[in-house]
Amino acid sequence: MTLLSIEDLKVHFPVRTGRFGGAKGLVKAVDGVSLSLAERETLAVVGESGCGKSTTGNAVLGLAPVTAGRILFEGRDMARFDEAERKAAWREMQVVFQDPVSALNPRQSIARSIAEPLVIHGHPSAEIPGRVDELMELVGLNPDQRNRRPGALSGGQRQRVVIARALALSPKLVICDEPVSALDVSIQSQILNLLMRLQEELGLAYLFIAHDLSVVRHIADRVAVMYLGIVVEEGPASKVFGDPQHPYTEALLSAIPVPDPALKGRRQRIRLEGDLPSPLDPPPGCPFVTRCPIAEPACREARPALVDVDEGHRVRCRVRAPEGAANS
Amino acid sequence: MTLLSVSDLTIEAGPPGDRLRLVDGVSLSVKAGETVALVGESGSGKSLTALSILGLLGEGLTPTAGRILFDGRDLATLAPEELRRLRGADLAMIFQEPVSSLNPLVTVGDQVAESLIVHGRASGAEARERAVEMLKRVGIPEPARRARQLPTELSGGMCQRVMIAAALISRPRLLIADEPTTALDVTIQAQILDLLAELGAEAGTAILLITHDMGVVAETADRVCVMYGGRVVEEAAAVPLFAAPRHPYTGMLLRTIPRLDQPPKRALYSIAGNVPSPRDWPEGCRFRTRCTRADAACTALPPLDAAGEGDRRAACFHPLEGPQ
Ligand SMILES: Nc1ncnc2c1ncn2[C@@H]1O[C@H](COP(=O)(O)OP(=O)(O)OP(=O)(O)O)[C@@H](O)[C@H]1O
Ligand SMILES: Nc1ncnc2c1ncn2[C@@H]1O[C@H](COP(=O)(O)OP(=O)(O)OP(=O)(O)O)[C@@H](O)[C@H]1O
Ligand code: SF4
Ligand code: SF4
Ligand SMILES: [Mg+2]
Ligand SMILES: [Mg+2]
Repeated sequence: MTLLSIEDLKVHFPVRTGRFGGAKGLVKAVDGVSLSLAERETLAVVGESGCGKSTTGNAVLGLAPVTAGRILFEGRDMARFDEAERKAAWREMQVVFQDPVSALNPRQSIARSIAEPLVIHGHPSAEIPGRVDELMELVGLNPDQRNRRPGALSGGQRQRVVIARALALSPKLVICDEPVSALDVSIQSQILNLLMRLQEELGLAYLFIAHDLSVVRHIADRVAVMYLGIVVEEGPASKVFGDPQHPYTEALLSAIPVPDPALKGRRQRIRLEGDLPSPLDPPPGCPFVTRCPIAEPACREARPALVDVDEGHRVRCRVRAPEGAANS
Repeated sequence: MTLLSVSDLTIEAGPPGDRLRLVDGVSLSVKAGETVALVGESGSGKSLTALSILGLLGEGLTPTAGRILFDGRDLATLAPEELRRLRGADLAMIFQEPVSSLNPLVTVGDQVAESLIVHGRASGAEARERAVEMLKRVGIPEPARRARQLPTELSGGMCQRVMIAAALISRPRLLIADEPTTALDVTIQAQILDLLAELGAEAGTAILLITHDMGVVAETADRVCVMYGGRVVEEAAAVPLFAAPRHPYTGMLLRTIPRLDQPPKRALYSIAGNVPSPRDWPEGCRFRTRCTRADAACTALPPLDAAGEGDRRAACFHPLEGPQ
């Protein structure tokens, strides 16, 4: 069943651009994104810094203003929720951010941090300590450490605290925004294993925002590749990684360093020229046109449509997935 | 020819009497033209080692032992003026944070030209011209216009390339690059790594590359030094190190990296326990608390050549044997 669907979401931020804050501009951080996430599924959102991954997640959480489009949770438009319904929906969706240090109050014991959502949502106070112990055990923390401050924990342990807190209200959806990027490599795999185990045991769905593609390959069922505020390719992880169609996805995958020195210098890498264009001044037509190795003049004319190339695999490129050629 | 040799470097923090050891007897060397990767857990002492080579350790940090030879000269015996001349000419560094290590008030062109002017290698006008050329080499579009801009007007990826241009313009013999691509996206990272390799080969620059990304190591390094808990625990050429690590930490580190060719959705290999902070280093082998091979012998500190063979070294009493 579809748990979350995002329909043609736009999030535009007005910004001042001139050196003295004069000129006004519009950052189209998210500019027409549609995604859906089923129960118990992991949808990963990948793409370069600034392409709008976090803003998409934040819009779902009500932390970024929705300029246009709809967000449906369990089939119902969140914009039409009354206060009580919104509160109920927010119990069902929780978030784990990148930085476990700033996510926790340094002066509070970790037990209090984990209990916070329970208190806010009026959980009977007699049951809270038991539930906190249960949550600590669930994420692999020793309940004996409940009175510690975050400062006395390692980075990996702090991220476990953040995850325990996110699970306190038994959500169905957890938005993970770069949950392991701030952690040391040797700790990353512990946390990824924890997230996979919890998904299995609790039936969680993850919207998993990340830029480490090897991590995404490991954990995702489906992958959406974003570029400058739009989705350029989306599909089952096996398809997007095994048979990428969009030239940006190809470049992204070919740029992943492979941990095998025997292959050094023997891999063909697609070399992109130039930087991600400024979201304040995106190129007309296809946003990838300024760096695309196979661009044609017509690519500057209109934004290509997201075209189905295979079961659940969609690509936005007028050369690789021309309109009208769907499913042919 | 050995260009840089660091032996028994020890760095401590705090006032005398209440000192905390952060780097404990590190030895490593870089030959002319070679790329050596320095890898290891967060907090293992990589950045401090690099900073002390340049004589740039922050306040409160003291090198209490060891010797650093650059081109056969003991850096500790150089006058501050000589050391300054060496830095920026023969020895250059790219820092972890590009944006904060550039001066926000000086145009990027002037910052790139600076080392040429300071070291009297070119006049102002000529240096500026060469800076624009260098900005072009590092892949900055419209370099003449960009040269007149301030760092704040450039993206993070471009600032990183400005740092590289500034470091390489004087054709240093050794470049120390501390996580030069960590803040960058993979497509930009690929450009920068290609560029370092290209410019390195062209000018014969040796590179000491600090990174935690084993993929980056595999794609760039000739040799690898692995640090754990303030010590070098293994040193070997890249190919044998990846194929047959000897130190258990190196072996585990290599196994924890998620690989694209691995079956998805299965539990990943992980190293149990946490990275101990310098205050909590165990007695003896620092990896003892997380090592599956530890026994009573490991309560003594294994020397780096405890498991040596040819030009490989590992600090372990029970090293791994054969391909892992
Ligand atoms: N509150 C805001 N006001 C103005 N611009 C914003 C705001 N939040 C985000 N942006 C801009 O929107 C764009 C998308 O930002 P977002 O944080 O969603 O990117 P991201 O894909 O998560 O990047 P990263 O990988 O760096 O986290 C960026 O250009 C960013 O500067
Ligand atoms: N000025 C200082 N005073 C006290 N301790 C310090 C100081 N600078 C660094 N340290 C500590 O020294 C140890 C080594 O730090 P260093 O920055 O060299 O680590 P690193 O290996 O570069 O780690 P990372 O991968 O996180 O960059 C760390 O435990 C760090 O907290
Ligand atoms: S539409 Fe054109 S510019 Fe865009 S990705 Fe396809 S070929 Fe490249
Ligand atoms: S010396 Fe002992 S504890 Fe240390 S790495 Fe080797 S086996 Fe493990
Ligand atoms: Mg983000
Ligand atoms: Mg460092």
